[in-house]
Amino acid sequence: MKNRETVHVAFVGNPNCGKTTLFNAITGAKLKVANWPGVTVEKMEGEAEYEDVRMTLVDTPGIYSLTSYSIEEKVTRNCVMDDDIEVIVNVVDASSLERNLYLTLQLLELGKPVVLALNMMDVVEERGMEIDLHRLPELLGDIPVVPVSAAKRKGLDILLHAVIHHYEEDSKDEVLHYGQEIEEKIGKLSERLKTFYPTHSSIRWHAIKLLEFDEDVKSEHPIETADVFTRSYEKEIIQIKYAFIESIIKEVLFYRKKKTDRTDRTDKLLTHPVWGVPVFLCIMAFVFFLTFAIGDWLKGYFETFLEIFSGKVSDVLIHINTADWLVSLIVDGIIAGVGGILTFIPNIAILFLALAILEDSGYMSRVAYVMDGIMGKAGLSGKAFLPMILGFGCTVPAIMASRALETEKDRRRTMIITPFMSCSARLPVYVLFSGMFFGKYAHVAAFSMYAIGMVCAILVARVLHVCEKEKSGDSLLIELPEYKRPNGRTIRIYVWNKLKDYLSKAGTTIFIASILIWIVLNLGFNGMVTDPSESFGAAIGRGLEPVMRPAGLGMWQIVVSLIAGISAKEVVVSSFSVLFGVGNAQTTAGLNTVAENLKNIDPSFGPLNAYCMMLFVLLYVPCAAAMATIRKESGSTSFTVKLAIFQILFAWLMATIVFQVGSLL
Amino acid sequence: MSLFEGITGKSYEIRGLYVEEGITRRLQALGLNDGTIITVLNRKKDGALIIRVRGTRLAIGRHISQGIDVEERAL
Repeated sequence: MKNRETVHVAFVGNPNCGKTTLFNAITGAKLKVANWPGVTVEKMEGEAEYEDVRMTLVDTPGIYSLTSYSIEEKVTRNCVMDDDIEVIVNVVDASSLERNLYLTLQLLELGKPVVLALNMMDVVEERGMEIDLHRLPELLGDIPVVPVSAAKRKGLDILLHAVIHHYEEDSKDEVLHYGQEIEEKIGKLSERLKTFYPTHSSIRWHAIKLLEFDEDVKSEHPIETADVFTRSYEKEIIQIKYAFIESIIKEVLFYRKKKTDRTDRTDKLLTHPVWGVPVFLCIMAFVFFLTFAIGDWLKGYFETFLEIFSGKVSDVLIHINTADWLVSLIVDGIIAGVGGILTFIPNIAILFLALAILEDSGYMSRVAYVMDGIMGKAGLSGKAFLPMILGFGCTVPAIMASRALETEKDRRRTMIITPFMSCSARLPVYVLFSGMFFGKYAHVAAFSMYAIGMVCAILVARVLHVCEKEKSGDSLLIELPEYKRPNGRTIRIYVWNKLKDYLSKAGTTIFIASILIWIVLNLGFNGMVTDPSESFGAAIGRGLEPVMRPAGLGMWQIVVSLIAGISAKEVVVSSFSVLFGVGNAQTTAGLNTVAENLKNIDPSFGPLNAYCMMLFVLLYVPCAAAMATIRKESGSTSFTVKLAIFQILFAWLMATIVFQVGSLL
Repeated sequence: MSLFEGITGKSYEIRGLYVEEGITRRLQALGLNDGTIITVLNRKKDGALIIRVRGTRLAIGRHISQGIDVEERAL
């Protein structure tokens, strides 16, 4: 026995093969990192124990091939090539055995112990098919083949048994013979690799990769190859693999009776050329309703609770003679800021529940197909539609929904434009200003913000698309998995991990941001201030007045309220109330007082200024929570900072254009 | 003919892939090679289509479908 302490196992398989569900079924919820079913970009690690053998299990991103063209492939390849990994569990979707075996053959060539977990046997049965479980292992070099059901948690013990009893048996790396010409070259290259890299494992695999002109393997093994081959044999190697798979399929897969496929019938409606889009919109409307109608209703309770809580904390702090500034920092700064984040929990939990169900059921890939043509024109993936729509409700879950997109580029582009979709927190600002200055046209003025936001989003996406000189954006290529009943366990673990993630990461950023904003508004050059006009914020506001004047917003109170609005957009309204000495600016009397005070400070402040104010609030940086989420989702501080600068400049530019052009009229 | 002209319900044999190298490799890994039989399951006006290949379904955009040379095959 090698190392009886722990066995390191890697789970490898195609996207949508049920790998994550199987992984969760074995390890439970105690994971190091969690991710989206199907688009696992991060590494998930869990533990399991069987017959006193401890196992460390690693889940890898779903891939179709062991090449190194995508990030997912590179991550997985590096993981399985690692000497630490002692066993590879290859999870295979039995219902699409033919395509799944392509990856299996490549894994076998590594020469490491491979255990085949044959998942989704129930679908095979349902379709009237049968797989010869005796013949299949024979054709694959006698590796253990274990039928499992990830969803029903069947066959897991047998799988673990196979793992701990076979991890010392390397698989035969010569399951497939490529024919004389290629085999000769593989032989020569293997000899040479052995001489130069005597400690190397997986010699045959490396030789094959060299023949395929694999960039990474070539640069890591700069051996002389020109005398053996001068062109890539990749195409031949792929075709021989698939030809071999076809011969396996002929021997092991039987149709007992043909049945019409349930998935095909469902797809007739859901991907219908005409009805596909309306059906999607209905589903979206329903998700929107759940997230915001139900979510906001629950959010109300959270807010009430928060109010009572902060009142109690404040009472206790005053009771124990805490300094005023500290009470204010804790209650108005930290509790209000961090608590604001907590109130989003219902929205986010419901949203992720809905998304996980859509993804796990197999519908999400169809969205990419259904919306491809429409979104493709702006250089966006069809799936980008979802975050954009959610952006009307709240930018935070919308940004998080961008995870459903396949590529980093698509995700980032979606994050750039999603904040332009006017979130519900901006509405109070529109209501305040359009109510003050637009009279009976108030609704039109407010509604125009939503339209402008959408136009800006599409315009920016389009400009980025053109700037990056992409070839046609419609190179959609995506697998549409079998529809299935969403797995409760997978969804539960997913939603829980997302929430935990959100609270820990966005929470820490918010904690710092709320302290900073509190300092800016409550401290001045003479220490703690009660009058905001003496605060650092006011000083900054006065300093920025000249900059904001071309945009029609040259008033320090406006600048301060905009800065305060970064903590949450609706704060623009409440800080306006404070700065103009009104209890509640949302009442009619309050509205009139604010309008009057505005006029007193600057007699020229009119509808045009108000419109520019609304426009600026629409376009400038989203709230701190949204930015923290962008930071977390993009994993890049520089991207977040650049985006924030772009948004401020864009908002300023648009407001300035509108104000300058408007002033001429 | 190109797969772009494919008709729902009919089957085709792939004759050649004429798209960017990166996409070609992805298609090959997904099992679309010369001689592979595919069936068009669904198509939209803009040319995106759903095909069945080797027991799985793939959605393919217009750009790629135009680059796949096929010949009709009766099943």
